[in-house]
Amino acid sequence: MNNGDISIEGGETAPAEESVPEGVVLNPHAQVCLQHLLRVWLGFERDLSKVPLLRRIDLGTFTVEDHQVFLRNIRQQVIEGSRWITRTASSFDRNHSEIRSTIISHAVDEHRDYEMLEKDYVASGGKLEDILNMERNIGSEALHGFLMHRSSRPNPIDLLGAMWIIEGLGEKMAHSWAERIQELTGLSEDSTRFMTYHGHNDSEHMQRFYATLDSVGVNEEAIASIVKTAKVVARLYRLQLEEIEYDVQ
Amino acid sequence: MTVYITSTGSFLPGPAIQVDQVENILGAVHDKPSSLRVQIQKANKIQTRHYAIDENQQTTHSNTEMATNAAEQCLDRAFLNREKVGMLAVASTQGDLPAPGMASMVQAELELPEIEILTTHGICSSSIMALKAAWNSLRLEEHEAALVLSSELASRLLKKQRYEAATTSTFAAKRIDFSTEFLRWMLSDGAGALLLQNKPAPKGLSLRIDWIRGFSHAHALPTCMSVGSAGRPTDSRTWQDYNTYAEAEQDGALLLRQDVRLLDNLMRMGVDGYLRLVEEGVSKPSEVDHFLCHYSSHHFKNKILEMLNTAGVGIPEERWWTNLYSRGNTGAASLFIMLDEFLRTDEVTVNVGDRVLCFVPESGRFNTTYLQLTVVEE
Repeated sequence: MNNGDISIEGGETAPAEESVPEGVVLNPHAQVCLQHLLRVWLGFERDLSKVPLLRRIDLGTFTVEDHQVFLRNIRQQVIEGSRWITRTASSFDRNHSEIRSTIISHAVDEHRDYEMLEKDYVASGGKLEDILNMERNIGSEALHGFLMHRSSRPNPIDLLGAMWIIEGLGEKMAHSWAERIQELTGLSEDSTRFMTYHGHNDSEHMQRFYATLDSVGVNEEAIASIVKTAKVVARLYRLQLEEIEYDVQ
Repeated sequence: MTVYITSTGSFLPGPAIQVDQVENILGAVHDKPSSLRVQIQKANKIQTRHYAIDENQQTTHSNTEMATNAAEQCLDRAFLNREKVGMLAVASTQGDLPAPGMASMVQAELELPEIEILTTHGICSSSIMALKAAWNSLRLEEHEAALVLSSELASRLLKKQRYEAATTSTFAAKRIDFSTEFLRWMLSDGAGALLLQNKPAPKGLSLRIDWIRGFSHAHALPTCMSVGSAGRPTDSRTWQDYNTYAEAEQDGALLLRQDVRLLDNLMRMGVDGYLRLVEEGVSKPSEVDHFLCHYSSHHFKNKILEMLNTAGVGIPEERWWTNLYSRGNTGAASLFIMLDEFLRTDEVTVNVGDRVLCFVPESGRFNTTYLQLTVVEE
């Protein structure tokens, strides 16, 4: 496609999507699945713009307090993330050993990300005990409940849809939010390391994603379940960001 | 009722202006060359464009005149008596007068008696709004022929005096303001015309209108391109809320603004709409022979396009065609000017039966519009 590669100061300096290596050829079912997943993602991303806390990033009124509130509310989900991912791995039987290996290595990469998030919180001026004391907000409860439920089912390939949304958001945080938040709040890089690191780490995950999509997205039933789970996770993730607990508990 | 584009016309004012002459026309603000011009021009890759103002920033052609000239060319090329034109639809970001609608002024110039008129207001996609309304009018068999015009005179908003007058604006305070300068080096002037009829032209190629669709995302996203506010997040006043228009101008409320940070959303929503049309079976990527895209510049490094290829719905680069780089970004007028040249250029072979997909995204508040045409011959 005809697309330039010059970025402009003041604009976005990096793509929020991951590059597809030359020669990736998905099977026709996986192609259709990717078309649907792209739409779920784009709708999710657009609707995030309506979430009051995040809208302030677009409007340029996001503050240090907003950043702290965000970190306090997202930490529980990051901690729980490694739990549903490892549960997913254990739910795949021997006929899915390849995908199980992929998921296990993904879990290893991310299962202590929350510690980075806690350091960011302290670096941005928050008290460690405040973030440690936070419970899951209403949306995090729903998201966690759904993911643990789905990951407990045998061979839960539909959770590829969950990974699509959550990995996509990691990329978005890294490429669209981290620098902008620093610019708006005056916070330094050590307050947004969770966001930037997570995005950086995700490029590898994306390659694995395409390989997995090609291997499990082989019929209409599989595609429908992946797309539906992506939609549910997108909605519940947004709920988590809408149901922000502003106060320290 | 099937509707065809049976004739086209365009008008580009004055000579083609090269990259390094642009500031001579628009003027250097406070006689200081812009520090952003080269960077923005490099990114948008536009080589030549036209302006309806001269080197002293005096208007050489009104917006109404440009629209009229394009219309005259279109009608002169048509196999139709102009008395048969029952409707005139005119699109522009800003006509010469805030009121009445620009269609009234153009109708008077064209001396078309007692026709139905429509003025659409918006930015780039206003042309598609006008086209769709005229198309529907013919489909409902209310008229046999309709003239659809789009014309832009952006340079009046971009001349140096506008910036020099904004003495209390963010631009003045910071001496530089990307959001108000960005479009200065992007937009230029011109007009395009399409004649719609209920049958193809008796000679030559016509374009059958297969479908026109639009998806607006203003409900979710903030304003990205606008005129009328000072561009401060905490100030909700618009230009008419100031005590005088002079105060509004001083405060920068009459400057054309683009929030470049939000622009990436436009491509995303554009892709979403396209995928929606594919999902609905309206558009079949493999059947698209030509893709005419009004995409105002190539300043995105957007991997989402590569994802479309991986998903099997990309449109190969050799099927893309645009004259943006030689005719400039003329906003609402762009697609009509593009279609006019597309049917005449030697750069591309157009065959009967070819399908032409057009995409006109508007960054204003994220309206994405699409249409498909099929090349036919009587």
